[in-house]
Amino acid sequence: MASTHGIARTNRSRTDEQRQQDLDRIQKYRDLDDQIQLHVKQSNYSDPTLFHLTTKILRLNPEYYTIWNVRRRCLISGSLSKRSAGLWRSKASPSTSRSVTTKPSCAASSPSPSAATRPAPATSPSPKKAGESGTIPDEEEADPCNAGKEEEKDGDDEEADIAADTSLVQSELAFTIPLLIEFPKCYWVWGYRSFFLSLCDAILPAGAARDFWAAELALDSKMLTKDRRNFHAWSYRRFIVSALESTTTKNDGDESAKAKSMTESEFAYTYSMIKVDLSNFSAWHNRSNLALRLLDERGADDAARKKFLDQELELAREGLNVGPEDQSLWYYHQFLMDQITTTVGASSKGVGENGKEAKGLIAPNLSLADRRDFVDREVAEIKDLLEDYADAKLIYEALLEYGIAYRAMGESDADTANQDEMMAWLAKLKELDPLRRGRWDDLEKSLQA
Amino acid sequence: MAQLQNLPDELQLATEAHVKYIQNLDSRKDEYEYWLTEHLRLNGVYWGLTALYLLKKPEALPRDATIDFVLSCQHENGGFGAAPGHDAHMLYTVSAVQILALIDAFDELEKRGKGKAAVGKFIADLQNRETGTFAGDEWGEEDTRFLYGAFNALSLMGLLDLVNVDKAVNHIEACANFDGGYGLTPGAESHSGQIFTCLAALSIVGRMESVEADKLGKWLSERQLPNGGLNGRPEKQEDVCYSWWVLSSLAMINRTHWIDRNALFGFILRCQDTEKGGISDRPGNMVDVWHTLFGLTGLSLLGYPGLDEIDPVYCLPKSTTQRILGSKK
Amino acid sequence: MESLGEEPWDVVICGTGLQQSLLALALSRSKKRILHTDPNYYYGQYEAALTLQEAESFAAKHAGGSSEAEKKRSVVRNAAVWKPDDAEAQGLKFPRAYSLALAPQIIHTKSKLLSSLVSSRAYRQVEFLAVGSFFVYEPAKDGSDPKLSRIPSSREDVFSSQSIPARSKRSLMKFLKFVLDFESDDQKPLWEAHADASLTDFLTAQFKLEDDLKRYVVALTMALDGKASVRSGLAAINRHLTSMGMFGPGFCAVYPKWGGLSEIAQVACRAGAVGGGIYMLDTSATMKPSGENEKASLELPNGITVQADSVISGQETTASVQAISRLIAVVKSPLNSLFQVLVEGAPTPAVAVVALPSTPSPIYAVIHSSDTGECPVGQCVVYLTTLATAGSKHELEQALVMLVYAVEGEDSTSPCLYQLYYEQALGDRQSTTENHGTTPALSFPPLSATIAFEDSDLEAVKTAWSLVSGDESDEDTYLVFEDREGADAEDEVYE
Repeated sequence: MASTHGIARTNRSRTDEQRQQDLDRIQKYRDLDDQIQLHVKQSNYSDPTLFHLTTKILRLNPEYYTIWNVRRRCLISGSLSKRSAGLWRSKASPSTSRSVTTKPSCAASSPSPSAATRPAPATSPSPKKAGESGTIPDEEEADPCNAGKEEEKDGDDEEADIAADTSLVQSELAFTIPLLIEFPKCYWVWGYRSFFLSLCDAILPAGAARDFWAAELALDSKMLTKDRRNFHAWSYRRFIVSALESTTTKNDGDESAKAKSMTESEFAYTYSMIKVDLSNFSAWHNRSNLALRLLDERGADDAARKKFLDQELELAREGLNVGPEDQSLWYYHQFLMDQITTTVGASSKGVGENGKEAKGLIAPNLSLADRRDFVDREVAEIKDLLEDYADAKLIYEALLEYGIAYRAMGESDADTANQDEMMAWLAKLKELDPLRRGRWDDLEKSLQA
Repeated sequence: MAQLQNLPDELQLATEAHVKYIQNLDSRKDEYEYWLTEHLRLNGVYWGLTALYLLKKPEALPRDATIDFVLSCQHENGGFGAAPGHDAHMLYTVSAVQILALIDAFDELEKRGKGKAAVGKFIADLQNRETGTFAGDEWGEEDTRFLYGAFNALSLMGLLDLVNVDKAVNHIEACANFDGGYGLTPGAESHSGQIFTCLAALSIVGRMESVEADKLGKWLSERQLPNGGLNGRPEKQEDVCYSWWVLSSLAMINRTHWIDRNALFGFILRCQDTEKGGISDRPGNMVDVWHTLFGLTGLSLLGYPGLDEIDPVYCLPKSTTQRILGSKK
Repeated sequence: MESLGEEPWDVVICGTGLQQSLLALALSRSKKRILHTDPNYYYGQYEAALTLQEAESFAAKHAGGSSEAEKKRSVVRNAAVWKPDDAEAQGLKFPRAYSLALAPQIIHTKSKLLSSLVSSRAYRQVEFLAVGSFFVYEPAKDGSDPKLSRIPSSREDVFSSQSIPARSKRSLMKFLKFVLDFESDDQKPLWEAHADASLTDFLTAQFKLEDDLKRYVVALTMALDGKASVRSGLAAINRHLTSMGMFGPGFCAVYPKWGGLSEIAQVACRAGAVGGGIYMLDTSATMKPSGENEKASLELPNGITVQADSVISGQETTASVQAISRLIAVVKSPLNSLFQVLVEGAPTPAVAVVALPSTPSPIYAVIHSSDTGECPVGQCVVYLTTLATAGSKHELEQALVMLVYAVEGEDSTSPCLYQLYYEQALGDRQSTTENHGTTPALSFPPLSATIAFEDSDLEAVKTAWSLVSGDESDEDTYLVFEDREGADAEDEVYE
């Protein structure tokens, strides 16, 4: 029933032995599930047995999203309830009506103020210890994995609470690491981790929370080493980085924003990933995303911006020199060329252009002559690639694309956008790339128009 | 379509086998996998049922039992879980609405379920009123899949006015990338799946004006690989499911002719298990109902003979969306 | 011990070299009665890893025979150890702080040896380290210092290289792309007609590679004679390139910690012992004459005679004249710059390979950091190999000095704290089988003395396995085992 990826089709018939094995596993799994459902029906969230059952079944099946929720409710009803009661009361049991329509607080890198004042619906059983401030939950009720708790038994100060919460977050994060490694594309595991990390911000002192976030960034790098295109890991990385950037701010509020930014180190990270694999478009994409912020934070003037553009074009060209068939490299090159050929505020396209305006350009003040020079040089360099790679169809696509963009920049006598040459490239494309024949036909029509 | 008549047997659609395969999906309770995938049960019904409609065998699954099952997944708050005992979530709520739309059973939702209004409220409550995007459930994971799901289900129920469409559209626009595509969240890399959800959401509310159709069309057309299959991102492997994400997106910007139809037909048909039914991600791999549906929707979008027509926005038969949305479409 | 001689053994394996040990592993789940002996008091025979003390007795044993003729026939010959008089003062530690590998072959990640270790679950006992960069030694020219140039062996390497001009990069990329695919029908016509010709000429004619790049490519073949043919050279480079990144970024080969193939031999023997095999070290088994209808008998040192249904051993002598010279040197500095992590997420390499041009054949130096456990921290072990000639010992010593100078830059004429030198016959590549009475006896050929482990050395192990297993042999079960209970502590967490 699930979507199966990359598993070879085999004879579906099983031997009697295999069949029996399956039946045994099913029995075991369903027993677990039944026990959990029973607890849930009785809203026994503070019973540590239930928590342990979730551990067992999630190791068998981390895609079972409901169980992740059950597990969260267990923790909210038990060990976490005191310090974060206001944050979670409405979630302590499933399927309560949601009257609150603010952004769910756990997704934010810092809890929104409205979350704390969220009314606790009457249907929600109030977490056992919520009212008794200062009491530590009974040993039996605490998460038994939570080793840090014991030492704090007789403390009733905030420090003990923090230590307990820290150790709980630690143990939940540790629990999910093997699952993350085994199921790196499981949305729920990623979601569960981000939930606990966001919780850190809400319930731990900034320094402690920051340690968690920093460790998470290292883990994320590891995940990207194992699968460098995993888009969960890339998205998660941006999430961690923005959290880290904001927690630092909390810590020492008087420093300038620039000092806390991780733009430089993340920009450098994209390069180190590109050096491992030029085809890693995820890294190129992130690079394109960071470029503008980087320049703004550097306080780059027009000359520095022009130089940056130069350097990045050279990087892309170095890549193309060894990989002219690689779409990732061409998309980055195209991104840079867009930066040159786009005129701010001068397009017929409404929002597309607005989007760009909002995002700005790498070098917004290039003169038309500069821009022409850039395109002339790039087109010349790309033509040179044809000397050795006459059959790389993406070269012709780029030449046509840049030729058309060049024309749109305004009249010029340079022959960068020579009509005959463009028609010849198009003919070559038709020959090399028959799959996209329809596109070439459309392009031909527009070129002749 | 003349060329297709000459395709060898293994490149003909094994309609009978696929119908049987889908009919038998629920009779595999002695397989461990069946239980491990319970969290996809309601989606599975939607995938299987839609596939059967495309194969023009809508009666192959019993309507009453389907309605009973769908309603058994509903919670007090109006949302649906994957199966009885599973928590409510956007993904399943959308599937439930789609199934009910498909089998024309919204009246049953009013009679025996919690009613459209409750479903609409469940969905609308998941909108982030600050950014316009949607969470999947109360725990707050947000991505454009949920936004699309919300628009899809709400529009089918005629309840789009419960949410802030402008903010949602702004959010989608913030997910746009320089290559014309869209990502999971603002800043995320373009991905065919997310492109589909964003384009379809914009289509539902008629707000396609920001789409850079030429640029996006180029990107989408480059997804076709020499073996005819489509990939989801640059420099990745092909997979049958992208026949849907990429192709429906091309359809929404009127550029399906930018890829080679016959090459894609060949690829999808090579992924069939012609004997036991079902379609897999790549030739020779294990089949599943998800790839079966998206293989068939791909064939349908390109006009494969004998298949019902699919709506590229809703992933439902056009006959269904026309019945429900009528002239609005 | 009395029971040793009572009933015939299904198989007696003489010697714990890699091949014999892998056979013991392959038979470890077979319920066969196995007696496994070794004349030395350590495992591994010619693939052993030796403490300095063991190295000394090894050198004494293989210094040479009583006659020139005898010397020529033995597999290892002309062995000698040397150390400076004040070695300890210079930093040489106690003898057991070292573990000199007689078989320091790197193992490509694609090698069948690794997949066999995985399928047989033996890999769990071995700690593998990454083999990092491959370098070419560039002699001093035009007043510049000698240096090591890293060989680019992936598209990303070529991209990152600062020293190759843009156009040359393209030619190199064309060649690398061709090699990845050289066995396809598209590419075969390009080389098949020249299959036995020189790779160097082929590179010039077909790819217009410049001299520098040609040297890189030829070095990557790791052909000891420096004269790879087109066929063998392309296969070797293909193996190198396709192994790259298989187990993680930045490396194409691994090396077992604590002494290379010796470690694998020991782990395989351990599996044999767990499976019920009887192990006797410091025990030579000598074949006794047997009658036509009798099983073979072997005599053990304490006067016990055992009978065997099959006997597996290794060839102790060889008709082959060609040999390699090997110098194993403990170097008093760590040569850290050879072990740098060059790409994101790559493990710190413990092994580096350097090709040094020399006539008539090149010298390969394989440098092991102290991470290999073969020497104390702050030192490294260099394994130098070349085809044996009259002067090769001196050449290897020279090469060591040149290498250390190129890395360290300072004028260090005696970088070496300890060295073991020997020559090892390249041997025949065939196992030999003969019958002693009713008992078949198979002898493994010496292992290829190459820089990288050769999968062809595994063929004889399978032949021996089939011979011992007889009718019961089912190819699908060869070296394919489940974990023994309790072996997988890590997964227990999931119960």
